[in-house]
Order: sequence, then C-alpha cells, then structure tokens
Amino acid sequence: MLNLIQDTIVHTQPESLGAAVEKAGHAHGQTDWSVAAIVALPLLACVLTGLCAALRVKSKLPAWITVASLAGAFALTLKTFAAHFMGAESHPFVVHVFDWVTFSWAADAHAQGPQTNELAANFAFYLDSLSALWMLFVTGLATLIALYASEYMSHDQGAGYCRFFAAFSLFVFSMACLVMADNLLLLYLGWEGVGLCSYLLIGYFYKKPSAVAAAKKAFIINRIGDLFLAMGVMLIFVQFGTVEYSVLFEKARPYIELARAGQFSQIPFLVKLIPCLLMGGAFGKSAQLPLYVWLPDAMEGPTPVSALIHAATMVTAGVFLIARTYPLFLLSEIALPVVAWVGALTALLSATIGMAQFDIKRIMAYSTVSQLGYMFCGLAVLSPSGGVFHVVTHAFFKALLFLCCGAVMHGFAGQLDLRKLSGVMKVPGWRIVGFGMLIGCLNLAGFPLTAGYFSKDMILAEAFVTPGTAVIGWILLITAGLTAYYTFRVFFRVFVGPVAYELGDEHHGADHGHDDGHGHGDAHGHAQAKGHADAHGHGGTHHEPHAPGWAINTVLATLAVLSLAATGLYFVGGDHGAVAGLVDQSSAGFHSPLAHHGAAEGAPAHEAGHAVVSYVPEFVHARAHGGEVHAGTIFGADPHKAMYFISAGVGAVGIFVAFWLHLAGRKSAATSRADALLPALGPIPGWAQGKWYVDEFYDFLVRKPLWVLSHIFYLIDSYLVDGLVDFIGAAPRAAGKVIRPSQSGELHGYALGMAGGLVILIVIVALVAT
Amino acid sequence: MTLAQTGAPAPMAPSTLGHYLLVSALLLVIGLIGFVTRRNLIIMFLCTELMFQAAGLAAVAFGRYHLNLTGQTLVIFILTVAAAEAAMALALVVLLFRRKESLNAEEWQDLKG
Amino acid sequence: MGELIHPFIVYGFCVLGGAALCLALPRGGRSPQVLGALAGALIAGLALLALAVKFAPVLPNVYFYIFSLIGVGAALRVITHPRPVYAALYFILTVISTGGLFVLLSAEFMAFALIIVYAGAILITYLFVIMLATQAPQEDQTEVLASYDTRAREPVAASVVGFLLLAVLTTLFFRGVDRLPMPPSRVDDQALLADMPRKVENSLRSAGLLREGEAIREIDTGAGVVRVAAGGAVRDIPRSDWPEGMGVSNVEALGFNLLREHPGSIEIAGVILLMAMLGAVVLSRKQVEMDEEAKRRQAQKLGQTTGGISDVTGPIGGES
Repeated sequence: MLNLIQDTIVHTQPESLGAAVEKAGHAHGQTDWSVAAIVALPLLACVLTGLCAALRVKSKLPAWITVASLAGAFALTLKTFAAHFMGAESHPFVVHVFDWVTFSWAADAHAQGPQTNELAANFAFYLDSLSALWMLFVTGLATLIALYASEYMSHDQGAGYCRFFAAFSLFVFSMACLVMADNLLLLYLGWEGVGLCSYLLIGYFYKKPSAVAAAKKAFIINRIGDLFLAMGVMLIFVQFGTVEYSVLFEKARPYIELARAGQFSQIPFLVKLIPCLLMGGAFGKSAQLPLYVWLPDAMEGPTPVSALIHAATMVTAGVFLIARTYPLFLLSEIALPVVAWVGALTALLSATIGMAQFDIKRIMAYSTVSQLGYMFCGLAVLSPSGGVFHVVTHAFFKALLFLCCGAVMHGFAGQLDLRKLSGVMKVPGWRIVGFGMLIGCLNLAGFPLTAGYFSKDMILAEAFVTPGTAVIGWILLITAGLTAYYTFRVFFRVFVGPVAYELGDEHHGADHGHDDGHGHGDAHGHAQAKGHADAHGHGGTHHEPHAPGWAINTVLATLAVLSLAATGLYFVGGDHGAVAGLVDQSSAGFHSPLAHHGAAEGAPAHEAGHAVVSYVPEFVHARAHGGEVHAGTIFGADPHKAMYFISAGVGAVGIFVAFWLHLAGRKSAATSRADALLPALGPIPGWAQGKWYVDEFYDFLVRKPLWVLSHIFYLIDSYLVDGLVDFIGAAPRAAGKVIRPSQSGELHGYALGMAGGLVILIVIVALVAT
Repeated sequence: MTLAQTGAPAPMAPSTLGHYLLVSALLLVIGLIGFVTRRNLIIMFLCTELMFQAAGLAAVAFGRYHLNLTGQTLVIFILTVAAAEAAMALALVVLLFRRKESLNAEEWQDLKG
Repeated sequence: MGELIHPFIVYGFCVLGGAALCLALPRGGRSPQVLGALAGALIAGLALLALAVKFAPVLPNVYFYIFSLIGVGAALRVITHPRPVYAALYFILTVISTGGLFVLLSAEFMAFALIIVYAGAILITYLFVIMLATQAPQEDQTEVLASYDTRAREPVAASVVGFLLLAVLTTLFFRGVDRLPMPPSRVDDQALLADMPRKVENSLRSAGLLREGEAIREIDTGAGVVRVAAGGAVRDIPRSDWPEGMGVSNVEALGFNLLREHPGSIEIAGVILLMAMLGAVVLSRKQVEMDEEAKRRQAQKLGQTTGGISDVTGPIGGES
C-alpha cells in the first residue's frame, strides 16, 4: 500500500514527489469536487430534510430529496469508480477538501519514539479500490433502501418522516466519511457518526420503551468498542506520529519488514497492541463476540434501517477497518488468530441462536452476526478478498432478506412470528416478496452458483488452505450447514406451505400496518388514508394483509437481481473475481505492500521457523510471491476445488433438513415436524431460544456488579460524602444551637454572661499577678 | 470623732480600705444580682445605679487612702453619666412601656439585642 | 499584716450569703423572703463581726458599720422588694448611707452632691417613671403586682455567679491591700492657698493678723509663711499664726482638682449631658399614628395655612 500510495501520488501529481509522503493530500490533489459531492450530497439531504421538518412538510418530499441525493451520490461514486478503478491497475488518489485538524507544537528533544510535532488530519478523502468498492454498495443500497423506506415509512409522514430521512442521510454521510477517510481521525468521525445515526434510528419509535432500551444498548455497547478504536488511533499517533494512512504505512514499513521476517520479538509491544485495540473497535461496531448483543436488539428500529445499517453497511465498518489497516494487523502474531477465533465462534454461536428464534427479523439479525463472523474469519485466515467479497454479496442479499421481512411485517401489521405466518407467497400480491426472499435465502444458505455460495467458499477454502486454521474452517463449515437450515426454516415456514396467517397487533409505535385497504399501488393514497387508518384503529380481525406497493416491489426486485448478478463478480476480473482484484490492489491486498518488498529483498522468511504464530509470516510471504500455497488440504484434496462440493453439500443438507422439518407435511402455521424433535434435544433448544442467556450472563457479569457498585457508591455518596458536607453544615449549626440561647435577646442572660466573664477575667488576672 | 474635717485627713490603714472595698463589692454584687434576677426594666436600671454607687464608693475610698482627690473627681463624672443614663434609659422605658403596656424586659427579647 | 480574713471564711460567707439572697428574692406566691432577708442580715452581720474581731486595733469608725449595714440592707431590699416604688425608696436609703460613708472618707462635698443629685433628682425621676409606667388597678380590685415584679428570674444562677464574683473580688481585695503603696504620711494641704490670695487675705483680716493698709505680698506655702507688705517693710506671718479657718476645704480642693486636672473631661461630661437631654426629648416624644391619607390631608392643611402648595410649585425666586 505504501508503494501504491506513493505511486498514486506520482501518478496524479508527478511534479512534486518529494513532499508526497509527508503531505499526501495536502500539497497535491486538486480537489475533485465530484468526489467531495459524494459526501456532500447526503449531508445536503440531511439539511434539507431537517428543513422539511422545520417547515412541517407532510408530503413525501423528504423521501424524494433523500432518494435523489443518494442516487446522485451513487452516480458520482459509479463515475469515480469507472474512471479510476475499473481497469486492471487501480489509481488511488487523495481528494483534499479542507484542512480540518492541524496542531503543531515544539518538538521535544528528549522525547522517545518518533519525533513528531504535528497532528494533521484533514478533511480529505482517500479513494482506492477498497473504499470505492465500499462506497459503491453503500450508496447504491442506501438509494434503494431510501426508496423502499419512502413507502415503508409512509404511515409516519410528517415530523417523524423527516426525522427518519434526516438521520438516514446523515448516516450515509457518516459512512462515506468513514469509508473514504484519508486519515484515522476522519474515520473515527464517521465511525461515531454512524453510531449516532444507528442510535437515532433504532430509537426512532422513541415512545416505545423497548426501542429506547435497544437504542441505548446499541449505543453503550458501541461505546465500548469505540473506546478501543479511539485508544488504537491514539496509540497509532503515539507510535507513528501520524494518523494519515499514507504516512502511517510508510512509518510502519520497518515493522512490516520485521513481521515478514518472522521477527515478532523485535516489534515493540505497543506496536503489537495497536491491532488488538483496533480489533476491539471492529468487534463492537460489527457485533462480534463479546459485543454482539446489541445487534439483535437493534431490530427495534424500522426495517429499512435494519436492512441498511444493521445488515448491509454499518456493521461491515469493522470489516472495513481491519481491511484498511490490514498491514498493522500483520504486526502482531496474535491479532489475526484472535480475529479468526472470535469470528468463527461468533458465527457458530449466533447461528445456533438463530436456529431457535421465532421472530423472523431476529433470525435475520442473528444471521447477520453470523455472517459478519464469516467476514472476520475471511480477513483473519489471510483471505481479505474473500472477506470483502462476502461483505459485498452479503450486503445485497441481507438487505434483500431484511426488506422482504420488512414487507411482511409492513403488510401483516407487525407480525413477525414464523409460527403465525404461512404460505405468504400464495397470498395475492406477495409473489415478488416471496421470490425476493427465496433468492436471498439461497444466497445466505450458500446454494450453489449463488453469490453467497462463492463468497463463502472463498473464506472456507482459505481457512483450510491457511496452515493452522483448519479448526476454524470446520467451525465455519458447520455454521454454513446451520445457516442453510435456519434460513430455509424461515422460508419454508413463512412463505410456502398452507396459507394461514394471523395479523399482528401493532396499533402504534413500530411498523404498524395500514388498514386503509386501498390505493396501495398509489403512493399518494397513503398520505390521505393515514388519518382514516388511525381513526379505525388497528388489529381488528377484519383486517387483511395488504401487499406491498410499487416502491417496495421495485426495490425488492432490483435487489434480487443484484444479488443474483453479484455472482458475476466472481467470474469477471482476476483470479478470484473482480472484488478480489480490487482488494488486492488496496491496503488489504497481498500484492501491494508486502509483496513488492518481499520480492525485492529476498525471502528470509522461508527459514523463519521461530515465528511464534503458526501461520502469519511464512504464509504471508509465500502468498506474496503470488503462488497458490496449498499448505492445508481437506480430505486430501485442494480445498479450493473440494470446497465447491463440500459446502454445496453442507448447504443442501441444511436446506433439506429444513424442508423435512418445516415444510413437508406441515398443515398449519404454528406446528411442524420439528416440534416432535424438540423433546429429544432436551433443554438445548430452550437455551438456544434464550440466546444462550448471554444477555443474562452480561447482566450478571456487568450490570449486577455495576448495580451493586453503584449502590455502594450511592451509599458512600449519601452517607460519607453527603455526610461530610452535611457535617460541615451541621457543625456550625450544632455550635450555634449550643451558643444560640446566649443570644436570646434577654438582657439578663447577657448580664449574667458578663458577670461570669468578669469572674473568669479576674481569676486570670489574679493568677497572672501572683 | 468628727464627721466634718478640715485640713489634711490622717492617713488611713489598708485594712480600713479593705472594709470599704468589701462594702463596695457587696453593693456591686447585689446590684448585679438584682439586674439579672429582676424583670422590671426600671428596677434593672435601679440596680445599675446600685453598681454605680459601689463604683463610686470604691473610687472615693481609694482616693482617701492615697490622700488625693481624683477619686472624688471620678465620682463627679459617675454622677454625670448616671444622670445622663437615667434620662436616656427612663425615656426609653417610657417609650417601651407605651408600645407593650409592660415593663417586662423579657417582652423585648425578640429585639435580640 | 496578712490577709484580712482567711479566704475560706470569705468563701463560706459568700456561699451563705448567696443562699440567703436566693431565698430573699421574690418568687411569687409564698416564698421564704423574710427568712432569706433575716439570714442575709445575719450573715452580713457575722461578716462584719469577723472583720471587727480580727482588726480590733485598727477598726474603722463605728459609723462605718452603721452606714454599711444600712446601705447593704437597703440595697438588698432594692432587689428583693416586689414593688418598684419601694425599691426606689430603698435605693434612696442606700444612696444616703453611701453619702455617709463618703463623709467618713472625708469627701463631704461628694456626699452631699450624691444625695442631692441621686436621691433628689435621679431617683425622683425614677419615681415619676414608675408612676407613669405602672398599670392603674381596675376599679373593683386592689392593686395587683405585675407578674414580672413578683417573680425573680433565675435566682440561683444569678446568686451563684454574683457571689462567685464577690468571692473573687474580696479575695483579690484582701490580698491586694497589703501590697498597696503606703499612703503618704503627710500631704501639704495648704499648697492650694497660694492660688487663693483673697481667701487668705479675708481670713487673715478677719483674724486680725492683717491690718489696715497692709497687703499680702506673697503666699509661700513651701516655707509656710505669708509675706505681708506693710508700708515699706515686709512682715512674715508664720504658719503657726494662721487662723483655724484658713485651711483648704474639701470643696475648694475638689474644685481645683477638677478644673485643673480634668478640663477635657468636664467638656465631655457636658456633651454627654446635652446628648442625654436631646435623646430623652426625642425618645419620649409621642409618635402620632397616621395613615397615608391622613398625612396627605395634614400636609394640605399645613400648606393652606402657610400659603398653599402653589408657593412650592409657583415660580421660583419670586420676591413676593
């Protein structure tokens, strides 16, 4: 990446190479306003929708502003992408918008470590293949989901509608800052921005206690992760004296050399600590163990939010962070193994929880957590391209799945229980939703030849290829089977089978369904019918589910097509598809920073047998030479080839089991053949349904001690501190109480006191005199 | 034994001075006790006058002992101050009595003087 | 010479006297006042007796005991008598006996000044005020003592403190008199005669020592002679020839002392008296309660009588 960035600078501004490293974006980079507009448009939309709120706009104007802005941003991203990253060689570049943070101070001559006397973090955007790719699906999906939300949120037109789209636009702005940032400080700004928007949108139904609680939970747990990220950024600044990527990787080069040579012991501990801290931030934002608990609860937000923020984009910020700072992760021998294990265990744990849930949106939430685990594993088993590819495919199909669930929820008055829904696909008007769901499920289950299948395969195969991570591979393989099962459990229970449903009972608050019963194809009908619907109330038995309108259907269809089309990414471009090619050219690619240097300076790592960690140095080095290193095998075969069949088989088994248990012979919505199996499994399904009681465990581990601690502090505060303060107040009062009678206003008392004083005085005088 | 004397008086024994001082102290203490125990404003002022008497007696006795006139001069000033104090105090007493129809000093203790 | 009385005897008398005074103070209803008064008198007598026994050779004048007993007893009655009028009268008795003690102390002028000013002026004022400030009894009932007069307040505490003070004071006195500088054995009481030539001339003339045509030339008190110029010759009248009445009286000496040594104090005393007079006038002035309306009307009336408000609001500086 160092070379890349330098190359970039050379390419864009060949005349001033000298200052390039130090002032990457500053001195050069004529501001490309089209890139800046990618960030500015969502911000503009946010401001405009905010204005709409101020002007009490009751129409769908905010939605259209948002959709138009995001579409514009998407178009600009596409343009940028096509201009710079479509070819075999990518041309990263920096767009400097304005100076943001610039501190300088007198250098301390005695300071240890790198001499730095400047903290510069500009509002500058660094566009390489990775950030461009990310922005592409962020803006694209955001546009589609905003369109979807224009209909979905229509029951809330007015202030809430404006608020929703303002936060939505702000989210896209923050995400763009996060992804395109040219330094870690701007990334952190975006990071916190998306966290804020997530909080705002989860708590969108702020009158609903569970939504408020979920928003707080998400925000607080994210704080824990953000603390690690902040400490990581600070440590990076302390160690390397910069937060700009270009300079950072340049400064980190000596350590990367050491790492490549396997000499981890020579890398300072504080440098090794950096990836561990960054990892903490990534785990928080991307809902990995042990910080995953906020994501399922985040489903309290409106479904478009769940789809965009909590499935497709924001939660992949952790993956992006690791991919962006991938070279730093190679500096510690434990960083990537920890990421791998955390990812694998998260994947497995949340898959098991997902199997036992009945709320279809929650199942999707757990599947998101699980798939994020996959992505982390992909990064950690030295397959960043696989991980990123999975991010992309997952973004599409998970958004699709969520939006389908949302459509069901929207149409069935908030009904999400898969025991109360059946055969939805056969209900008139639900065909597109059903097919969308099917495509999403196939992708998620890793059905052969779908995009999800290929992306998952890349990760699985790499897990087996990379030495020492076979166990992780097995865990992921088991998880793949479980994923196929629970995915199709939802599909078979809800969308096919006998038609039977029970409407939800949401009257107010969250996603309540409409009962207007007319004008669904007509976007304007909603606004007029709103008061009517409210007057009638909801939840009566006479209500019928209402099929989604054109906006929802269009979006679902588009996403379904895109999900399928994502398969194509695997076949165009380079060895492992276009995404792999893009990733390889970015900071996460092996062919950039390590490869060049490794090739140039020989390969001492071959005999670096003393590497503490099993796989990183040698393997990275070998990989850097461009070879397929088949260090591991599965059943004696090349994992890449075998995995096509194995994972297909595992997926098929999962789907078949789901079919057998949940569709075949099912007569009603509530029961299935699986119910008969439950007693045989003993308490395990109950535990899984109870989410393995992780929340309760955290409650016991964190909240209860905190509660006790806070009560102890409360007691200390109320008795010790307050007591002290009260004592300070009470002591004079007590003294006054003693002395006050002397100031009774009675002359006699004063006279008596005077006489007494006189006695004492005379005694003193007498004693002194003698 | 004559009451009126002319010419320089004879020197006085210290024990005789002690006798006078004892009487003076008794008057002072009685005045003090009276001031403390009586509630009637007028009697309280009478008690202060008693104490003036005591002070005057002590002053004159000392002057006699030292054979000079300063003690008596002091009594003249005591008399002056006592007269002034009596005028002021009695005016105040009259004023206070008009307010509350009572000479009880405790009635006025909310003045917190 | 030692202490006048042993301190423990003094303390014992103080305790007993305090107890007696406690009893003597009025407490309302039935109180052992008489018993207390008798006990107090007994103890005072015993105390004086103790003094007399110990100092029989140098006893003061017997009048001292008479005046002391009268004065202290009257003072006790001042503070124990429930009726203010009687208290004031007893106070006059105290003043008179104090005056007697003053006479014994060769302060004749002060003795009579005390009696005249205190008993004659101040106490009469007190009596006036007592009369003014006492509730007249209702028609159908006899005079009722005010409750605040009949009950002493905290007699025990007051007696304890008071007699503690007495004990301390007497201890100090009795110890201290020994260490007093001995009084001058002889004071030249004739020194002031030099400032009083007219008195000297008159007394010498009336005694026939100064004849017609002779004039006093110099009064030399140091040498104890009065030089008389008789025609051309000078003649000395020695001290031994001075008539009896030519001595300096107490009043004369006091006057010289007062005006020579304390002129500033006299000025201050004058100011104090003036301020007291003003204060008494201001304080005892009757406050007329008037509401705002009445004040306005009064102001209007005053305005009419003095030429109207138009004078105030009219053209300023008009000669008319």
